[in-house]
Amino acid sequence: MKALRWTLVALAVFGVLGLAQAKLKVGFIYVGPIGDYGWTHAHNEGRLIAEKTLGIETVYVESVPEGEVETYIDLLVRQGCRVIFTTSFGFMDGTLAAAKRYPNVIFAHCSGFKRAPNMMSYMADFYQVYYLNGLMAGALTKTGKIGYVGAFPIPEVKRHINAFTLGVRAVNPRATVHVRWIYEWYSPPAAKEATEALIAEGCDVFAFTEDSPTVITVAAAKGLLSFGHYSPMYDFAPDYVVSGQLVHWDKIYVEFLKGVLEGKYTTKNLAHIDYWWLLSQEAVELGAKPGMVINPKHEAALKAVKVKTPDLGEISVYDLVYARLAQMGAPGVSFDPFQGPVKDRKGLLRVPEGFWLSYDALITMEWAVEGVVGPWPGEP
Amino acid sequence: MSWRLRLERSVTPSRTTVLLVSLLGVVAALVFAVPVFWAYKVSPWTAYTTIAQRSLGSWAGFMEVLRRAIPLMLCGVGLTLAFRARFWNIGAEGQLLAGAVAATGVALFTKIPAPWLLPAMFGAGFLAGALWGAVPAVLRLKLRVNEVISTLMLNYVMIYIVEWLVHGPWKGKTMRGFAYTDFFPAAAQLPLIPGSRVHWPTLVIAVGAALVVALVLSRTRLGYEIRVVGQSTDAARYAGIDFLKVMVAVMVLSGGLAGLAGVGEMAGVHYRLRSPTHISMGYGYTAIIVAWLARGSPLAALFTALLFGLIFAAGDIMKASLQLPAQIVGVFNGLILFFIIGSELLLYWRIKWERGWTGKPGSSGS
Amino acid sequence: MDWQTWLIGIVGRALAYGTPLLWATLGEVYAERAGVVNLGIEGMMAMGALMAFATAQTTGDPWLGLLAALAVGGVLALLHAFLTVTLRANQYVSGLSLTLLGLGLSGLLGRGWEGIALRAPLPNVTIPGLASIPLLGPMLFQDESILTYLGLLLALVLWIVLWRTRWGIVIRAVGEAPGAADAVGINVALVRYLCVVLGGLLAGVAGGYLSVVYRPAWTEGMSAGMGWVVIALTIFASWDPLQAVGGALLFGALYHLSFRLQQWVAPELLKLMPYAFAIVVLAFVGLGKAQRRRGAPAALGLPYVRGER
Repeated sequence: MKALRWTLVALAVFGVLGLAQAKLKVGFIYVGPIGDYGWTHAHNEGRLIAEKTLGIETVYVESVPEGEVETYIDLLVRQGCRVIFTTSFGFMDGTLAAAKRYPNVIFAHCSGFKRAPNMMSYMADFYQVYYLNGLMAGALTKTGKIGYVGAFPIPEVKRHINAFTLGVRAVNPRATVHVRWIYEWYSPPAAKEATEALIAEGCDVFAFTEDSPTVITVAAAKGLLSFGHYSPMYDFAPDYVVSGQLVHWDKIYVEFLKGVLEGKYTTKNLAHIDYWWLLSQEAVELGAKPGMVINPKHEAALKAVKVKTPDLGEISVYDLVYARLAQMGAPGVSFDPFQGPVKDRKGLLRVPEGFWLSYDALITMEWAVEGVVGPWPGEP
Repeated sequence: MSWRLRLERSVTPSRTTVLLVSLLGVVAALVFAVPVFWAYKVSPWTAYTTIAQRSLGSWAGFMEVLRRAIPLMLCGVGLTLAFRARFWNIGAEGQLLAGAVAATGVALFTKIPAPWLLPAMFGAGFLAGALWGAVPAVLRLKLRVNEVISTLMLNYVMIYIVEWLVHGPWKGKTMRGFAYTDFFPAAAQLPLIPGSRVHWPTLVIAVGAALVVALVLSRTRLGYEIRVVGQSTDAARYAGIDFLKVMVAVMVLSGGLAGLAGVGEMAGVHYRLRSPTHISMGYGYTAIIVAWLARGSPLAALFTALLFGLIFAAGDIMKASLQLPAQIVGVFNGLILFFIIGSELLLYWRIKWERGWTGKPGSSGS
Repeated sequence: MDWQTWLIGIVGRALAYGTPLLWATLGEVYAERAGVVNLGIEGMMAMGALMAFATAQTTGDPWLGLLAALAVGGVLALLHAFLTVTLRANQYVSGLSLTLLGLGLSGLLGRGWEGIALRAPLPNVTIPGLASIPLLGPMLFQDESILTYLGLLLALVLWIVLWRTRWGIVIRAVGEAPGAADAVGINVALVRYLCVVLGGLLAGVAGGYLSVVYRPAWTEGMSAGMGWVVIALTIFASWDPLQAVGGALLFGALYHLSFRLQQWVAPELLKLMPYAFAIVVLAFVGLGKAQRRRGAPAALGLPYVRGER
């Protein structure tokens, strides 16, 4: 029904602009191939939904090296694109330069922080979902060691590991999260060997930031549990995937483009438009496949573990996950993983009691929370 | 009775023949690729005209071809020199990155005043590339380490050094934790041809380098020695040529030029050090083909570099304007290369059809 | 953790990661012994991985998948042989083109195969009896792929053929002195064709290992630069099948160690170790006395034409 409504909106807009007006042409510039089954794949799924929902015309370019983004923007503008999305942090400065060169084109840049009158920024972030996964991981570990295969030691991934660890420790205060970095967004061999190294260290539950289901299959082969990342990965190990995080870029794409079609967003008023979308905007979802929050196979184990919480009293981890999900998923968000007191692993108080972290503090996070074990490049 | 194919070595072909035959190879590849376009429901005619219009047919398009050709020219010219001395330098990629690292070091961590900053960066880049190139030369002559492996390995070593620098000691304070160095100051950025992304000083250096290398090869004692070494090891020994000196000189130049290409990419395109796969689109490897197609002539390398600049630009256009999958670019380039090297046959070999059983026992060559 | 567990873990991982390297290196050793360099390993591995996955997923039989990988590797190598042996094209450029083509084609044809869990991966095996030998048992015979053992066996067989049989002499003669080989009636072109195709077959299997054993799924670019490591390993192993085993294990171990030792050393520096190590080892070898066996085949990279030297 939503689709129908937006189609009507789009039609109405076209009615106003006159039938002579061609369809809005929107370009997407991706850093990887759409077949990566991770980041770029997810953006492309979002593009396809937006195209269908809004009746617009879209084009895309995949596997664009970061330094080449301006070249591709030039080509897309020449083809008549009036809105261009660029989906990698490394595209930021090139996109900004292009935005100055083409003041009549709308630009939207993903995962950065620079904007212009005709350039907005957007991001769908997972840290809340990682916290919920952490709650479950803390309840399910037997060795008290949880493995995390990280892509790059950058604030985004560090924030996710920290949120995950806070979740783990909320349930299991003595458990630790062991981290290995692979320095790739996508590298099955690296993810595999990193997982094996963590297994050798005694880890028995796994989470990760890497664009393939490698960690899941390696863990499952040893009978160990894991959490999916980014794309639906339940099918890779139906017995061993507990939950995970899923992204819905289409929510952002449809909402923003609807604004463009309606004339709400123009080439003059984007300098302060930043979509930082989380659970409550439904840009991210808890689960290993759409619609399945927790794998039914592991519900019983999660119901069996009870924890004491300051606000909800004694509660099973299963109920706790749903309670926190409801608190963070509703429009008036009443819980945050980083609510004080939070100490870093060197003992410094980072978030005082009664405070939440600001958006700026979240996106520049370099420190590690208590419970994180392993190398942490750039630790302050 | 049977017909059989026999090949005979022909005389050295003229430059026009080389050019014509190579073009023939490209055309054959373009014809061969027609079904690929059909498979994606793109009319081959539209495809080729679009590519032609948006690359060579417009000022902006041509500028892109030129920009892509700059690093290929510098690396390619250097490689023609190495290949003339029969030194299989597969390491231009690493030498380019070495230049990029040196340029970044000078741009960000020295206090050289503005007018001297860029020349200092080019100087440092040349030295770094030269060093990275000279090591395999010394290793081969002193310790008999095969240069294909040492140059290939050193590429990886340099790739990981760059990764380490951008993630570790050189990570930029202004990059919000992402793996880049800070931006270069304005004095360390090269001027561009207005309305394009062509950093023209590097282009001028590339053309100058080709001229210098051509002169060195044809007019100097070193050039003579390089040619002798390349033709016959025995002859070079008779002539009393110091192999070590010649090889090191060759690789200092070859690596140094690749290093200059790295400086150009840094100061003209990226303005900061970043992940190595985003700095060089395999320019160092492509330059091997550039140099090989130029058949050892540094001046010809300028033109073969332009050809590959065009191929890179055509790839961009295929992806963006024709909405073809990114992988098609690889397939396409592979095909073109196959046809170009396949056409070799027509260049150096005269084909003869022979009749009968006159072939001697064990006769090979077909 | 005690040192035995550590050692068992490292050797086990070195075998698993080293297996595709070993298969492909063995093939390249033979191709280069006959005088033909094939830089197209990466492309052949990528195509092998795709074909193995698609076939195993469709038929439900991982062995059929590996057979398909074998075949596609062979066909691609045939193309290289045709260009370099028959048309006498430059081997380096032909190999680079093959890599471009294989990577591109596998990505193109592989669309739609990503994000699927392979329904029939090839399971690992533990060899009963042998696995209970203290230390060596769990190190070598526990939870490894059949392809690992086949690879080790193949290395032994190929070593015997190369150094202890007439065929080996023929192959080496073709790589060392094709003119002399031709003069005694050896069909140089045929031997080169066979060795290059063998190289392709094995590279195909190496790719297949990645998609039906090592990580039973297909994603574009899953060969992840292994093909280039193989080129290096071939030289590192001095064109010898048994030394290839050592080389593949060493590279495998160093790769895995880069994740084990991350806490103490920057991982980028650990990752560059195998590459730097290869150079250092070759340099040390160079310090010793010249050994004929250690050198490259004399006619490596050169097309053979009758009556020319």
